[in-house]
Amino acid sequence: MLTIEQLQRILTGIPEIKIYKVIEQMTDSIELFFIKKELDMNRSKKVHYFQATIYKDFSANGNDYRGSSTIQIHPTMSKDEVRTVINQAAYAADFVKNKYYPLVERKPVRNQVPVSSFAEAPLADWIPRLTAAVFEADTLERGGINSAELFLNKINTRIINSEGVDLQKEHYRGELELITNWRESGEEVELYKDLHFATFQAGQFTQVLHEMLELSKEKALAAPTPSLNRHMILLTGEPVRDFLQYYFTQSAAQSVYEQTSTLKLNENVQGVDNDPKGDLISMKLDPFMENSTTSTPFDEDGLPVDSLDVIRQGKLLNYWGNTQYCHYLGVTPTGNIRNMVFSGGSKSIQEMKRQPFLELLAFSDFQMDPLNGNFGGEIRLGRYFDGKDTIFITGGSISGNIKEVQAELYLSQELQKENNFCGPQTIQLLNVAVSGHNG
Amino acid sequence: MKVAMSPFLTSQAENLRRLVTELSREFPYVSVLGIDSLGKQYLVQKVSIYIGESRWTERGFVLRVYHDSLYSEFSFNEIPAQNLEDFIQEIRSRVQVPLKPGLQGIKVASYPLIEEEPVEKSFYGEVQKLPQQVSAEEKVTRMTALHQKGFALSKWLVDFRVRYEEVQVSKIFISTAKHLEQSYIWSQGYLIPIVRREGNTRYCYGSFSGLKGPELLDEMDSTLAKTVTQAEKLLDAKAVTPGEYDVICSPEVSGLIAHEAFGHGVELDMFIKNRAKAQDYLGKPVGSRFVTMHDGAAAAHQVSSYLFDDEGVLARDTVVLDQGILKAGISDQLSALRLGTESTGNGKRESFERKAYARMTNTFFSPGQDTLPEMVASIQHGYLLEGMMSGMEDPKNWGIQCMILQGEEIRDGKLTGNLVSPVIMTGYVPDVLSAVTMVSEKTELFGSGACGKGHKEFVKVSDGGPYIKTRVRLG
Repeated sequence: MLTIEQLQRILTGIPEIKIYKVIEQMTDSIELFFIKKELDMNRSKKVHYFQATIYKDFSANGNDYRGSSTIQIHPTMSKDEVRTVINQAAYAADFVKNKYYPLVERKPVRNQVPVSSFAEAPLADWIPRLTAAVFEADTLERGGINSAELFLNKINTRIINSEGVDLQKEHYRGELELITNWRESGEEVELYKDLHFATFQAGQFTQVLHEMLELSKEKALAAPTPSLNRHMILLTGEPVRDFLQYYFTQSAAQSVYEQTSTLKLNENVQGVDNDPKGDLISMKLDPFMENSTTSTPFDEDGLPVDSLDVIRQGKLLNYWGNTQYCHYLGVTPTGNIRNMVFSGGSKSIQEMKRQPFLELLAFSDFQMDPLNGNFGGEIRLGRYFDGKDTIFITGGSISGNIKEVQAELYLSQELQKENNFCGPQTIQLLNVAVSGHNG
Repeated sequence: MKVAMSPFLTSQAENLRRLVTELSREFPYVSVLGIDSLGKQYLVQKVSIYIGESRWTERGFVLRVYHDSLYSEFSFNEIPAQNLEDFIQEIRSRVQVPLKPGLQGIKVASYPLIEEEPVEKSFYGEVQKLPQQVSAEEKVTRMTALHQKGFALSKWLVDFRVRYEEVQVSKIFISTAKHLEQSYIWSQGYLIPIVRREGNTRYCYGSFSGLKGPELLDEMDSTLAKTVTQAEKLLDAKAVTPGEYDVICSPEVSGLIAHEAFGHGVELDMFIKNRAKAQDYLGKPVGSRFVTMHDGAAAAHQVSSYLFDDEGVLARDTVVLDQGILKAGISDQLSALRLGTESTGNGKRESFERKAYARMTNTFFSPGQDTLPEMVASIQHGYLLEGMMSGMEDPKNWGIQCMILQGEEIRDGKLTGNLVSPVIMTGYVPDVLSAVTMVSEKTELFGSGACGKGHKEFVKVSDGGPYIKTRVRLG
């Protein structure tokens, strides 16, 4: 079977190829599929991949270019097959007329991510413990787990390139897809959650299940969303991450270079120049975040990464991105970092709820378009307070554009943390279109 | 041109047969699916060009065995040809039921044994041109020409992206009774104009797809000007006033409704989990008499057409709705076993690394007898909905969410040219389908998207329909 050393020998043996990068990844997994409290299937996998990028430098009209082409090399390929696909990639790279950028050079890794507790024992040994954790709190009469899918992947990665980079890491990627049911007097309802984790934290699954069952119970009692036309809304929980992801994408060097973002350094990302009325966004990237499946000491080019202030009090301090796009913008490469930390704001959730509100806790699929800021989704569960009573609501939708609401939005002081996101528990938006029952 | 079987899979057939034979000595059912899919994707945009692997590229195997009344699977992409005995030992240890007896009251499912009839079949698709007959240089050159032509059409363009992707899928399925092989090519392309005026950014897309090779590039010029014009018009689009409206759904939006409203709701693995309301409605009316809907790899000629699914079951054409009556669901093999029905050949995997689930293939509404002008003329105030962005299913409670690019206003039976965008269409599935009163004469299918189950397990599908008139809630 092919090894990375053999692959490197093949690459260096082809005279036209001077610049390359190879990412090797080996994944071992266990997977369990449950229907209620019954194991419906067990699976496992053991796979091995190489991804090679071949670069070609050339000049045209006085400009320097660096073309590239990326290919997957399967370990079952013969050496002749490998040579063929590499040569095809080298040929294709000649037609990729991208401005020159440097490859990452060998540099020491500055920090390590927290060691996962999954490293303490073989994968198979975690099966009973994880299963017990999933079902520990599934003890209620009116509702519980409908079905669950549990995945635990152990992933070993090695990156080498022609500039001397040679880095390795081991990380774990866990996933729990959970569907819960609840029945009150009417129809049984369900809620969905796809949880990602990188280490075993006692109580994490139990807490998630408790929250889901509480929400499922509320959904079982929900009435159709009333016709509100435009209303103050509170986004709570998961939709907050999707909403704030707009700032993450818009501050990326790639978005700016490709002109899908118009954000400029030292300017306010919310379009608020003076006298802000609401809270201002602050966002850091933390590649060493605890229990995040995207924590990493180096990015996919082999560039060591570090924590980075991107937006502080609304002001864009840094673009973030890989070596190619940061080079194009003339800024220091930060590496691709996928862990977002947003600061909390000025109000507690209790303060936000002192006036009539529509709090939205679950959507069918909340969408935030990172390119133009349009957001919306069908409401699966919300709480509506009309100034007197609070009712649970479901159905209908909200829609809006972040540019219409960002000048005055409020972030809760209370924070939430899930996988690669840490940020406010709730966001208050003042004037959002709500399509409810009969309009 | 006939598509040839993957030489790699052909070379591995004997090894796989040996593996199945050896494992059959201790497991009552053994099958192995081998996949070798080769694909490339190309992107030409204003500031860069990209050539890389298709996200659908894969080469590997998934083995399924039956033991202790349970089916277990192992996915791998290296076969040690020399040490088969060691490999079998590894498989044995991996498929063992990994739970301690009595743990938290967890039981193990009790499945019957799969009974297979001997079958030996193969299918090799045909395309006008094979991917390797058109060089990377020519593909990039042609895409660059499209990019430049598009860019010249509007001063508001920030970018005009041209995407093209081609995949040759080869699969082999071997069990004690079956030997199946298939190889076919599909391709897809997008034109994506991005426009900006005074800070207002809008975009749309034109899509192309089919069981085709690089000849797809020949088609992509046909809607280029229309796509750029559409993006420009979106700059003047307003927000829709939330409410219920009479609407005409374009074939693309009809497909989205077929897919989200009923497709997911009749995936029979959802019946087993008691997650689908449809199970209480089999044989009952759920839509108007104008609504007939099919799903099946053998029901159409699009990107999800194949001879056999990822569990070695031959493809079918399933009539899901017949004149508004819910007739049947679609199933993978294990769901069918549990329900005591026959699999419909809808067992699909995201890749050889993932589990097979009951999934849609080509899902569409059948045509009717109305024309689009007649449909427009019948509406006093409503919208013509065009452009599919995304959708989400809710089989348990039959809610539907469709994110749609735009609605063109209809007033007094005429299109006004005024646009609203984006549009979120929501509703209760039987209400939406029962309100269908007019259906146009021709069904079109679109295969440029992918479908997830929940938020994962993405597979290639196509969907579509004719223009349909119904009443929905927009927001």
